[in-house]
Amino acid sequence: MLTNHMKTLYRYRNLIKTLAWSDFKQRYKNSILGYFWSLLEPLLMLAVLYVVFSNLMKIQVEYYQLFLLLGIILWNFLARSTTLSLSAIIGRPSLVQKIYFPRDILVISICITALLMSIFESLIFVIFMLIFQVPVSITVMYVPLIVLILFIFTLGISLAVASMNVLYRDVQFIWVVVLQAGFFATPILYPVTILPANLQQIFLLNPMAVIITEARNVIIYQTPPAAGSLLYALIFSVAVLVAGYLVFNHYEPGFAEGM
Amino acid sequence: MNHLKKVFRIPHEKRTTIFETLTGLFRPTHYETFPALRDITFTVAEGEMIGIIGENGSGKSTLLKILARIMKPTSWTVSVNGRLTPFLELGLGFHPDFTALENIGIYGTIMGLSKREIAEKAEDILDFAGLEKFRDTKLKNFSSGMYVRLAFSTAIQTDPEILLLDEVLAVGDIEFQQKCMEVLTRYRNEGVTIVFVSHDLGSVQRFCDRTLLLHHGEQLALGETRSVIDQYVYGRFAGTPEDAGAGMNASPVTSQGKARWGDGKVEITDVKFCNKFGVESQRFNTSDAMTIRIFYEAHERVADPVFGIAIYSEKGENLFGTNTELKNMSIDSVEGNGHIDLQIDSIPLFAGKFFLTVAVHNRAGEPFDWLDMQYSFHVITTERYAGQFDIPCRWRRSV
Repeated sequence: MLTNHMKTLYRYRNLIKTLAWSDFKQRYKNSILGYFWSLLEPLLMLAVLYVVFSNLMKIQVEYYQLFLLLGIILWNFLARSTTLSLSAIIGRPSLVQKIYFPRDILVISICITALLMSIFESLIFVIFMLIFQVPVSITVMYVPLIVLILFIFTLGISLAVASMNVLYRDVQFIWVVVLQAGFFATPILYPVTILPANLQQIFLLNPMAVIITEARNVIIYQTPPAAGSLLYALIFSVAVLVAGYLVFNHYEPGFAEGM
Repeated sequence: MNHLKKVFRIPHEKRTTIFETLTGLFRPTHYETFPALRDITFTVAEGEMIGIIGENGSGKSTLLKILARIMKPTSWTVSVNGRLTPFLELGLGFHPDFTALENIGIYGTIMGLSKREIAEKAEDILDFAGLEKFRDTKLKNFSSGMYVRLAFSTAIQTDPEILLLDEVLAVGDIEFQQKCMEVLTRYRNEGVTIVFVSHDLGSVQRFCDRTLLLHHGEQLALGETRSVIDQYVYGRFAGTPEDAGAGMNASPVTSQGKARWGDGKVEITDVKFCNKFGVESQRFNTSDAMTIRIFYEAHERVADPVFGIAIYSEKGENLFGTNTELKNMSIDSVEGNGHIDLQIDSIPLFAGKFFLTVAVHNRAGEPFDWLDMQYSFHVITTERYAGQFDIPCRWRRSV
């Protein structure tokens, strides 16, 4: 069944590409500054958070700007994918009610759109790296793996919220709150090391915490990831993806009627 | 190539409607179930064109959506062999912020065309739609006519093997519909299998080899188009006169004030419309036979009465009138209960609702009973026509 579905998705690869790419283009079509806006958003967020947390909270972290920016970009990917996915199905009534293709394509394409946007945002990060002259080591080889884990995790959640939101429209309100809580519960603004040791263990059960922490380690601090941490995140994410698909498949037959 | 037969079997489809989702995620929702389709079984052979007709809400569109795999049947299965192209909406996936060319690309991809196929066809599509100059114009700057033209020409370039057609084609001006029909004819000749849902009995009649009639989700008839249409027009009891009466009652329209007058010596008690099967009906097909049966009761012996009718359009125009006197029929006298028939061999009227006035009066025109536009009937047309009524005629050309 799994291989069958993979084959089907492969057959529809053009559709996924087209949907993702057209969505990406469309986001910036009508603004004069176009793609520039997508760079501005994380920058502004960085500015605000940086001022607040480095001056008021006195957080002492090496390369705090980079530390913060990387956390924001990675978190933004999760937040954006899942929020956009809320309307992946209900936002496209004509595609859902008038034609058939595997419905997860709508969610996958949104996650890819979000990924494109995040990659684009990463330009800012690269520029910051150059400005601060942070040396890069061989550990950046881990980046693709980390991105893959993040994508799997995000897709799993996106599938679940997208499908549940068709029947229960309040999922979208609940999800915003969950995201807010997650933002603070994940070591984005602070290093996980400021917590007491036993609490650290609990915080690192959160795969996003692992993903963000290890991404910082390999990119900014030239440190290889802690043993087993990425494996844990990968297994966790795959489990989330499987769960996401189960939820999605459960609700899928009702999409056309539930809108 | 696909196999010769497609077997569809979809009984017991239930649709659920849920309105109470916003109130709570964990509160149990109330379901209202109603079987939109029950026990539908049919097969369509390759290259065949099958029509699906029925009243609004009879399940036509649901059936089409199930065939298109958009909805899942509650039980039983649908099997389809071949590339299926649903054509349920024009301009599917079109986005106003993209140019014509980009939208063609998106639509084509949704329909499952490869990049190369799309690139090859893009020119044809623009050409057919007459929009070559606007290839890079954003769709939102298109007029609605241009939009429809683009959508249509994109849709027909998908080379379907099996085509599902909803009533999308019913919109648009005459020229557009004409184009649609041409394309339909072309597809038919190319051996495309077509499932065609329509209210336009004329098109169904012209194109479909066989027709499926749905009524409240049930498969009422499946067979040769002509007879299925008859059954639709004349109700489910067509051809079985002994069941007549269970179907429909001729409707005396609610009597409005002064719509009836006369001294009542002869009273018109009822009027019935009978179709070509001799069964009472309210709906008639253009150019079919119709009998208007007038029931009367004469309270005393009345000599030399004249029965007459007049047919009015919905707007109240008098379209036709006749009576026994004009037809040189003399009735010596009437007494007690009886009826008189007016036989129409071929209804010349086209689609619409028509009102009937019936009257009985004496030779001097003094009414015994006059019911002004108190009865009505409907006419449905399956012909291509222009105007309001049929004038029997034919073309001839001598060389």
